[in-house]
Amino acid sequence: MNKEKQIDLEQALKSSASERPASEATVKPRTAESRQAESRQAGPLPSELQQEGLQPAEIMADVKNLELYYGDFHALKDINITIPERQVTAFIGPSGCGKSTLLRCFNRMNDLIESCHIQGEIHIKGKNILSPETDVVSLRTHVGMVFQQPNPFPMSIYDNIAYGLRCQGIRDKQLIAERVESSLKKAALWEEVKDHLNRSATRLSGGQQQRLCIARAIALQPTLLLMDEPTSALDPMATSKIEDLVEELKADYTTIIVTHSMSQAARVSDRTAFFLLGEIVETGSTEQIFHKPEDPRTEAYISGKFG
Amino acid sequence: MSSRRKLNDRGLLLMSWIFSAISVAVLVVILAYIFRTGWSVLSPDFIKNNYRSDSFYALLEEAPAGDFTAPAELPEGAAFSRKFGFALSDAKDKQNNDVTQLVYLDSESPLNEAIMDSAGVDLAPKGEAIRPPEGLIIDRIQFLDAQGEKAEVGSKKQMDAQSSIDLLDEEAASLVKYHGLTMGGGIRGSLLTTLILIVLTLIIAIPLGIAAAVWLNELAPKNKTTALLRTGVDMLSGVPSIIFGLMGMTMLFEITRLFGITEQSIVLGALTMSVVLLPLVIRQTEEALKTVPVSMRMGSLSLGASRTQTIFRVVLPQALPGIVTAILLSMSRIIGESAALIYTMGTAIVDHPQLHRGATTLALHIWKVMSGEQPDFQMAAGISIVILGMVLFMNLITRLLLRRFRRN
Amino acid sequence: MTQINEQQRTDSSLQSNMQTKAQRRIRNTDRFARGCFTVAGWLAGLMIILIFFFVASRGIRVFLPSYGAEQQNIWDFLLGMRWRADNQVYGVAFIIVNTLVSAFGAALLSFPLSVVTALMITRMASPRVGTLLTTVVEVLASIPSVVFGVFASAVITRFVDSLAGLFGQTTAGGNAMLTTMILLAMMIFPTMTDIAIVSIQAVPDSLIQASLAVGATTMQTNYKMILRAARSGIFSGLVLGLGRAFGEATAVSMVAGNAYTGPSVNLFESTRTLTSTMLTGLKETTGLDYDIRFSVGIVLMILILITNSLIFLIKRKVGGGSEHEQ
Repeated sequence: MNKEKQIDLEQALKSSASERPASEATVKPRTAESRQAESRQAGPLPSELQQEGLQPAEIMADVKNLELYYGDFHALKDINITIPERQVTAFIGPSGCGKSTLLRCFNRMNDLIESCHIQGEIHIKGKNILSPETDVVSLRTHVGMVFQQPNPFPMSIYDNIAYGLRCQGIRDKQLIAERVESSLKKAALWEEVKDHLNRSATRLSGGQQQRLCIARAIALQPTLLLMDEPTSALDPMATSKIEDLVEELKADYTTIIVTHSMSQAARVSDRTAFFLLGEIVETGSTEQIFHKPEDPRTEAYISGKFG
Repeated sequence: MSSRRKLNDRGLLLMSWIFSAISVAVLVVILAYIFRTGWSVLSPDFIKNNYRSDSFYALLEEAPAGDFTAPAELPEGAAFSRKFGFALSDAKDKQNNDVTQLVYLDSESPLNEAIMDSAGVDLAPKGEAIRPPEGLIIDRIQFLDAQGEKAEVGSKKQMDAQSSIDLLDEEAASLVKYHGLTMGGGIRGSLLTTLILIVLTLIIAIPLGIAAAVWLNELAPKNKTTALLRTGVDMLSGVPSIIFGLMGMTMLFEITRLFGITEQSIVLGALTMSVVLLPLVIRQTEEALKTVPVSMRMGSLSLGASRTQTIFRVVLPQALPGIVTAILLSMSRIIGESAALIYTMGTAIVDHPQLHRGATTLALHIWKVMSGEQPDFQMAAGISIVILGMVLFMNLITRLLLRRFRRN
Repeated sequence: MTQINEQQRTDSSLQSNMQTKAQRRIRNTDRFARGCFTVAGWLAGLMIILIFFFVASRGIRVFLPSYGAEQQNIWDFLLGMRWRADNQVYGVAFIIVNTLVSAFGAALLSFPLSVVTALMITRMASPRVGTLLTTVVEVLASIPSVVFGVFASAVITRFVDSLAGLFGQTTAGGNAMLTTMILLAMMIFPTMTDIAIVSIQAVPDSLIQASLAVGATTMQTNYKMILRAARSGIFSGLVLGLGRAFGEATAVSMVAGNAYTGPSVNLFESTRTLTSTMLTGLKETTGLDYDIRFSVGIVLMILILITNSLIFLIKRKVGGGSEHEQ
C-alpha cells in the first residue's frame, strides 16, 4: 500500500513537472492518490487553482484530505477541492456518491449524525472550520444553506426571513425590516409577496417557497451559500427562476450547488466537480469538464452512460 | 354453502351482537344509576355551599317589634311575621330532619342587625354584624314577651314554621337571639381543591414532561442508555396509582418537608400527580415531536440557530397540538385520580383549602362519603355527575381539537 | 448596487461587535437549556427506580431488627394466611391468591366481551353502530375509579346478594369476591378492547382477502383468521388488563370486604386484595399499621413487574399481529 503511494507520488511529480498535453490526460487516468500527492507537494497553497493562476485571497474555501465515515462506511475518501470566491461551483455525480455529504461538511450539518466522524481540514477564509474550537452556530450564520425540499417554517413570510437574525439576538426592528426587504429583492420574490408579508409562508407555491428559503439564507449575509439540489422538487418554470437567481447572486455570493441535472450544472456553474463512490474524480472549469473531461469515468457520466 | 355453515355463521353473528349489546348495557346501567341517584342533589347550592354545616348564635339586642307587610310573592307554605318582617317555611335538612328555614327577609327587619356570637363561622367573625342569608336554617328564636319573660320558638322546640310565627306575632315584644344553621353538604371546597390541584400539577408536570420528551426525542444520544431510560418511562405508565401514593409519602414527602410542610398537603398531591402524569405527557409530546419534519430542524440549524432556539422557536410551536392534548388528558386524569391522593392529600373534607394542608378533590370527596359508616350514595352520585361532566367535556374538547389540528 | 453593498458591509461590521456579546449569551442559554432537558430526561427515566427504591426501603423496614418491638417476621408475612390488623397479625399469602383469583375472574368475564366488541367495531358493524360502540368504550374508559366504586357498592352488591340468595347463600352486604370480579371486569373492559381494536386493525388486508379467496365466509374469516393473526396484540391486551386489575384500588376497596383469612374460592364470601388492604382503614401516617402497607406495596409492585415481563414475553413468543405497546 505504502509502496504504491510512493510510486504514484513519483508519477505525479513527473506529470506536474512536464507540461502535459491535453491528450495525455485521457491516456493516464488520474487517481485520488495522485491528486492527494499533488496537494501535499503544493504545500499550503491549493495546487489546482494555483495552476490556473488564482491568488489565495480569491479562495473562499479549501478542502484538504477530507475523510468521512458513517460508522464503518467510508463515505468520503480523501477529498481535496478548492472553492474560488464569487463563483458557482457545481457538485455532480450519481446518487449516493457523497456530494451532498461533502456539502453538509461546509456548515457542519453532519455533526447532527452521531455515527459520522470526519478527518481532514476545511478552511473557509483561512480558518479551519473542522477544528473543535469552531463555534458551529456562528459558522452556520456565515455559511447559508438551501435544501432539497423547500422547508419554510410555518410562520409568516416576514418571520421566516427574520428568523436567523432574531436567533442571533438582533432586536433592531428597522435593521430587520431592511434586511427582509433587501433579501427578498435579491431572491426576486419581493414583487410577489411585498403586499402580504404577514401571510403564512406555507401558502406560497413550491418555487416561491424555495426562493423564500434562499432569501432566508442570504438575509444573514453569508460568505458562502450551499444549495443541495435546490430544484429537484420544483417544476421546470420554477427551476429556471431559481437558476436565474443563482446566476444573479454570483455578484455577491460564493455558491456551491449540488445537482442531479447535468444541464443545470452546465447552465449555472463556473466550475464543476465530478463525484463517484465517495471520491472526487475530476475538478475543473465547467467548460472543461463538459467538453474535454480528462477522466474516462467523467466522460462516461457526462455522456449519459451511467448515473 | 352448506346449511351447517350457514347456521354456524348465524350463531357467531348472534353472539357478536349479544356481546356488543352487553357492553352497551353496562354503560347504560352505570350512567342510569349515577344520574337517577345523583340528579336530585344537583343544584346551584350543591356547588356553592360549604360541606360543613355552621351552627351559630346571633344576638339581637332586644330588637323591638315593628309593623311589616307581607311581600306580594311569598314562597308557598311560608309564614310571614308581621311584627319582625321575615318569613319561615318548613324544610328538610341534609339529615332529613324537619327544620324551619328563612325564606324571606324584609330590608328593615330587626334580624338584619344581629351580632354574631360564635367564633369560626364563615358568615361573619364573632362580634360583627351578620345579615342572615336566605336559606339559613333558623331552628330557635328566643324572645321576650310583654311581661319580660323569655320564650323560644322554632324547629328545635318541635314547632313548624306556621306555629312558630303565630306564637311570635302573638306574644313577642322583642327578639333576644336566634340559632342559625347553614345548609352545608356542598362541594365548593372540594371543587376548589380540584382546580388548585389541576393548576399546580400542570405547572410542574407539563414543563418537566415536555423537557424530558424533548431530551429523549431531540437531544439524547441514540444508544443503549437512552433506550433504557425510555423503557423506564414506559414502565412508569404501568405502575398502579396507589404505588404513586406510597412513593409520594416517602420520596416527595421529603421534598415538601424542606419547605416546612410536615403533613399530607395539596402541594404533595400535586407533586405526586406530576409523577403520575409524567409518562402521559412525555408520550403525547413525543408523538407530536415526531410529526415535526426533520427538514424544519435542519432549516433552523442551517440559519445559525442554536439547538435550544430551534427547539423553542420551530419544533415546540409545531408540536403544540400534542401538548394541548397532553394538558387536557392530564386534567381528566387529575380529576378522576383517587388512590394516589388518598395517601398524599388525606381524606379530610375542608371548605377552605390551603396549599400546605390536606384537602379533598371531588374524587376524594366521594371516597370520604362512601367510606364512612353510612355511605352517602346520593351525594356520591351527585359528585360523580359533576366529575363525569368535567371529564367527558374535556374528552370532547380533546377530540374536537385533534380533528381540527389534523385537518390543518 | 455598489452603494447597497457598502451599506451592508458597515452593517455587518457593526453587527460583529454586537454579536460577540449576544452570541455568548445565546451559547450560555443553549447550554443551560440543554442541561435542563438532560436532567428532566434522566429524572423521568430513572423515576421508576426511585419509586421502587423508596417504597421498598420503607416497606422492608418493618422486617428489620431496627424496627424495635413491633418487628415482623418476613416469612410470617409472606406465607401468612391471616390478616388481623387489630391483633398485629399480618399474613399476605392469601391476599395474593385472592388478588390473582379476582383479577383472573374479571379477565375471564371481560375478555370474550372485549374481543368480540373489538371485532364488531373493526369488521362487522355498520359505521353508525361502530361509532356507537367506540363511544361506549371511550366513555367507559374515562369513568374514574371512584365512580365505578359508587356504582359497584350500590348496584353490583345488591345483584350479587340476590344471586347468592338463589344459591341459598348469604353475603356480607354484597361485598364479595364475585362483586369484585364483576367490577374489575367492567373496569378492564375498555383497556382490553382498545388494544384488541388496534391489533385487529393491524391485520393486513391481503390476509383477509386470501382467506375469503379460499372460500371462507366473512364470519369464518373474522373468527378464525383475523383473531388468530391478531393474537399477540389481543393477548398482551389481556395481560395488560390483568395488570390494571391487580393495581386497581379505590373502587375495589369499596366492595371487596375485609376478609380476615383465606384464601377462599367461594364467590359469595368477602375477600381482600392487595390494594384494598393498602387503602382500607387508612388513618395515621405513622406506625406499624401504616408501614406494613408499604410492604404490601412491594408485593404489588413485584406482581406488576411479572405481568409486564409477561407482555414482553408474549410479544416475543407468539409474534405476529400488531406491535402495539401500552
